[in-house]
Amino acid sequence: MTISHDDIRNLLRLFDASDWTEMRLEVDGLKLVVSNDPNYSAAPAAAPAAVPATAPAAAPATAPAPGSAAPQAGAPVAAAVELKDGQIAVKAPNLGTFWQQPKPGAPPYVQVGDLVDETTTVCLIEVMKLFTPVKAQARGRVAAICVADGTMVEFDTVLLVLDPV
Amino acid sequence: MPGIRRLLVANRGEIAVRVIRAARSLGIETVLAASAADRDSLGAALADRTVCLGPGPAAQSYLNPGLVVEAARGTGCDALHPGYGFLSEKPALARACAAFGITFVGPPPDTIEQMGDKLAARAMAARAGVPLLPGSAAVADSAAAASIAAEVGYPVLLKAAAGGGGRGMMIADDEPALHAAFETASAEARAAFGDGTLYVERFIRNARHIEVQVLADGHGKVLHLGERDCSVQRRYQKVIEEGPAATLAPGIRAAIQAAAVKLISALDYANAGTVEFLYDAERAAFFFIEVNARIQVEHPVTELITGQDLVAWQLRIAGGEPLDLEQSDIALSGHAIECRINAEDPANGFRPSPGRVQGFAAPEDPAVRFDTYLAEGALVPPFYDSMVGKLLVHGSDRDDAIARMLAALDDLRIDGLSTNQAFHRFVLRHPDFAAGRVHTRWLETVGMDAFLARESAA
Repeated sequence: MTISHDDIRNLLRLFDASDWTEMRLEVDGLKLVVSNDPNYSAAPAAAPAAVPATAPAAAPATAPAPGSAAPQAGAPVAAAVELKDGQIAVKAPNLGTFWQQPKPGAPPYVQVGDLVDETTTVCLIEVMKLFTPVKAQARGRVAAICVADGTMVEFDTVLLVLDPV
Repeated sequence: MPGIRRLLVANRGEIAVRVIRAARSLGIETVLAASAADRDSLGAALADRTVCLGPGPAAQSYLNPGLVVEAARGTGCDALHPGYGFLSEKPALARACAAFGITFVGPPPDTIEQMGDKLAARAMAARAGVPLLPGSAAVADSAAAASIAAEVGYPVLLKAAAGGGGRGMMIADDEPALHAAFETASAEARAAFGDGTLYVERFIRNARHIEVQVLADGHGKVLHLGERDCSVQRRYQKVIEEGPAATLAPGIRAAIQAAAVKLISALDYANAGTVEFLYDAERAAFFFIEVNARIQVEHPVTELITGQDLVAWQLRIAGGEPLDLEQSDIALSGHAIECRINAEDPANGFRPSPGRVQGFAAPEDPAVRFDTYLAEGALVPPFYDSMVGKLLVHGSDRDDAIARMLAALDDLRIDGLSTNQAFHRFVLRHPDFAAGRVHTRWLETVGMDAFLARESAA
């Protein structure tokens, strides 16, 4: 069997509604780990990105203790991105932490190859527990995601590159 | 307590440069949090790393505590220096730092909050036995204000409890004027600070602004580093500062210094601070105004006459070091003057003059210090305060310092911008300044008109 985005969405909805603290699923090479534990750290290698369970714009009760979701300290800033003809850069509106999905364990907003338009949310920028959605602001197909999940980005950093469509 | 390892500098301009240099002298790494307009500034070139907070306007960069704290976390800083202005006296920044385990280079947040509330600060000063201007707590209406004013004696000043910078402040010479001014002052205060609460104070016609620099280490030691006279003001903004207050009697100076130490000792205070007083020249009496719970623009005046590095002390105290000095180790030598060099045109209503510096040369006299972020090709962005540098001289006495400053103002060359150098020269040459007769409203009542008359005659 294959697992679709919709399946994952439904699983996450069920997880959210449950009182579980953790869910692990392995099917056909896909490994999904979902956790509510802010200090959860993924097992080495095989695990998905170890994003602390910081729920975007969620009630404060579910927010981790201050400091636990610190961006990767000292992470190098993304190297300058060169745009090819016609490509469009989606840039950070301010300094903050780059998150690719609405909440930890959730599928990313967009992946390389996805079609987006002006209204599509492509990522979140977090400033001290305040999560601001970033819109693509142009029509295009995602050519590259330039920043690693959970890293600090500066104002104007290129987050994604879109190919014109 | 271990010292600071990596410092986020949450400011811009000359104070960012000043803090970076002090940190470097102590072996502390620096990260500058700059707006997009300051990405190529001198501070950015000097810092070990620069991160860009947001676009130029301060509300989207320097004034956003979240961005600043996020920048500190994201770059692994263990301390944050707020400089002056911007967020330096916002308890929210100090609290956010504490919540994330970042050392805030300044007093505890509750103390910052207490000193930010003028009525609370007045109450603390009263408890500490520091003289206050005859006046009141909050007054409910103009009738209450009038009954206080009758006790205090006219003229009186109506002031905003939440205020500062002269907003919500009005002078009343008699009772009808007080009734007329009350609503206006209250409305102004409400518009500026979201709080229309007013209080009444005696108004001093011939007032000097005298302030005392203090250092407190949070381990029980509080020292003063002498006082400064900042009476040359325009719209409540200081223009020229000097130290010591050479025109005051030695007994008065000692009493003011002692009052500042007494007040700071009564507070939960650590780090550098300034206690501001008004000195009534006619009555030879001084009165508490407020505490500035941060480093001040004019701190180098004190550095020149004491030989102490105040910003380095801020970093050492924040890192947990006790003050290994006694009051007797602080000796004042000579006289220092500071002129705030602003990119503005005094002859045209002090219109700001941002732009790019075409040519730049600082005076080479070793008795001159120029704290600046300017260099050839530097940009003065339009988004911020117009101050581009602080020209300082250290002379053997006041007359020597004035002579040196006049020469330094001639030697300082900033091409491509209008500056207020000619205005400074005018004030320094004025007989009232030389005689020490300048009071806080001198520029507005005497100095400006004389300057403009001379400009139009030239």
